[in-house]
Amino acid sequence: MSSVDPLVSETAARVFGDQATFSAIEQAEADGWAPAMWESVAGTGLPWVSVPAAAGGSGGTLADAVEILRIAGRHGVPLPLAETGILGGWLLAGAGLQLPSGPLTVAPNTPADTVELRDAKVWGHAHRVPWARAVDGIIVLLDGPPRPMVVLVDPADVRIEHAVNLAGEPRDTVHFDDAIPLALAPAGPGVDADALRDRGALARTATMAGALERLAELTLEYTASRRQFGRAVAEFQAVQAHLVHGAQQRELVALALAAAVDASTRGPARFEIAAAKLLADRAATEATRHAHQAHGAIGMTREYPLHHFTRRLWSWRAECGTERAWAREVGTMALTAGADRLYELITGGSDLLDSLAADGGRAHT
Amino acid sequence: MRFEFTVLDDHERALQAEVRAFLGDVLPRGSFEPGLGMAGRKDPAFSQALAARGWVGMSLPRDYGGGDRPAVERFVVAEELLRWGAPVGHHWIADRQSGPLLAKVGTPEQKARFLPAICRGELSFCIGMSEPDSGSDLASVVTRAVRAEGGWVVNGTKVWTTGAHEHDWMMALVRTSDGRDRHEGLSQLLVDLRAPGVEVRPIPFLDGTSDFNEVVFQDVFVPDADVVGPEGQGWRQIGQELAFERGGPDRWLSTYLVLEQLLREQPALATDPTFGELLGAAVAQFWGLRQLSLSIARTIDRGEQPAVEAALVKEMATRFEQDLLEAVLGFVQSEPAPGSGSLAERLLATAVLTAPSFTIRGGTIEILRTIVAKGLRA
Repeated sequence: MSSVDPLVSETAARVFGDQATFSAIEQAEADGWAPAMWESVAGTGLPWVSVPAAAGGSGGTLADAVEILRIAGRHGVPLPLAETGILGGWLLAGAGLQLPSGPLTVAPNTPADTVELRDAKVWGHAHRVPWARAVDGIIVLLDGPPRPMVVLVDPADVRIEHAVNLAGEPRDTVHFDDAIPLALAPAGPGVDADALRDRGALARTATMAGALERLAELTLEYTASRRQFGRAVAEFQAVQAHLVHGAQQRELVALALAAAVDASTRGPARFEIAAAKLLADRAATEATRHAHQAHGAIGMTREYPLHHFTRRLWSWRAECGTERAWAREVGTMALTAGADRLYELITGGSDLLDSLAADGGRAHT
Repeated sequence: MRFEFTVLDDHERALQAEVRAFLGDVLPRGSFEPGLGMAGRKDPAFSQALAARGWVGMSLPRDYGGGDRPAVERFVVAEELLRWGAPVGHHWIADRQSGPLLAKVGTPEQKARFLPAICRGELSFCIGMSEPDSGSDLASVVTRAVRAEGGWVVNGTKVWTTGAHEHDWMMALVRTSDGRDRHEGLSQLLVDLRAPGVEVRPIPFLDGTSDFNEVVFQDVFVPDADVVGPEGQGWRQIGQELAFERGGPDRWLSTYLVLEQLLREQPALATDPTFGELLGAAVAQFWGLRQLSLSIARTIDRGEQPAVEAALVKEMATRFEQDLLEAVLGFVQSEPAPGSGSLAERLLATAVLTAPSFTIRGGTIEILRTIVAKGLRA
């Protein structure tokens, strides 16, 4: 099983706890970027964990990087951490390119995107690009043929139209108009649009797991301190149900994330990532509802921190594949397994799919 | 609250493969009428065949015929049996609950008397907790055992005792004294269901089956030797027992076969994208719940008692069993008929009629929430 370097967890908890205070998160939302917070976090090297040192990363494992994202989600850290490291760094390093020193972002390949290469120049539009306005490099993965290409573009060479997600974090529209890439190379082995989406889903599941932890904590604290009818509202069974349902979703997603990471260390974990993101999306819906209901009106205010986590969960559940999209995906895997091996899929996951594919391949030859 | 991620190791996966091969061999699909999870039929011969493989009483001590095997190995076997719909009814309660309880708190004499027969798949047990006026509030039981020469005389009534008309023994929670606290003075007794004064009356279940019973004790003599553990420890014992009972695959596999069999019988569903979504969501839920449940088994193997974790899983998992059934029903064209020629329909009919019990048996979801909330706030 994959284990995490304890120093990584400690560093992340300390720096995110110090930096992502309530007022710092509010300020980041108002300004669209938190340069001081980025500098502090970048100084620890955390954004580049899992990216090989040779490419300009911090080294470390995918499990370490996911743990950092989970802790970032717990603190509502408003920075492009996943985009810089396990998505952007992964794309660049895999393509044999060096990482620029600052924050990076990756275009998430929405269906509305029209980016293409013409004579080694970039044209078209990319939507919902996290923090495009603030980064040092925008990365786009373009479909082949013959192979998918990783393209790194200087934000100074594009037009950026500001847009935000439900949490007020930048999700900008980027217009490429004859932009000359800073770098361009064929993507690494196994890297394509599906692999990028899977990795993005793993990253979002990690931050969601963290946010779900915080939601459960806030709800527990609030319902223990808020008194009505002469006692803490947590004493009421109807309120306790909210606590229990929030805790269930937190635990379910925590283990799903761990399982997805574990499978990812052995190979492409298509099934585990799909199932984990699906569960996280559903958990976001359930847990935010219970947390808000338990909080009552105070939870709807700007001054109380609950919204830093519920708004992020509402955004993240829609990114890198929705619950429904992932349900279709897992459903297709289940149909591949068929009724006779359906349960083997539940216990074996991607390993079963790989063995079915290998058998199928043999059957055809 | 602690769920640690765990996976099956090579040895455990080999066991899984062995159980799958065994079931495919002795109980091929189509050769028997599968049941819904732990509601699988009673078949002493099958239980004994399993026992011959060492798959009954796996967690019980080797000195008494058990396997001394970890909870995770028992989990692996239980999971495969339940998802197959195997006829586990004869040994299920003895294997899951009564055997482990006796192994933990029973006297050496009790262990020697009961455990080997449980491990051979012979002795069967039922549980006598609820009473007409005592359900969720279990400490209010009024069935009373009064001291007599060499033992106790028991009077009272137990209800909802599944299988009491067929099983050999009941593990009965009774009041043996009046403590300052009502949680004191409770004891568990081993009651021979064929002893004089024991009357078993069926309580027909709403689906027409008669597994459910009322058991009346009229001056039933229970020797001292059949008091489980020290007298007055019943409440504590039950708390430990429930970690075995609540966290396992019994609590999320009750409607699994409905989904699998519908997919098998109606291949056209494969082209319906909304069914694909249901299937995908269900598979992901099974996968996630299984991680939690497996984590509980591993925790038990570390010597801990994850009773709160088990309650958390059962509350969530039994609701899922019901939700899955409702979702699957949306893809059935007509009302499922109990006597249908289609297995999927028969399973659906039984599932519809019995599903409300999933969130009641073994502790209602309301009680479970109270337990979990207490654990969260501790």
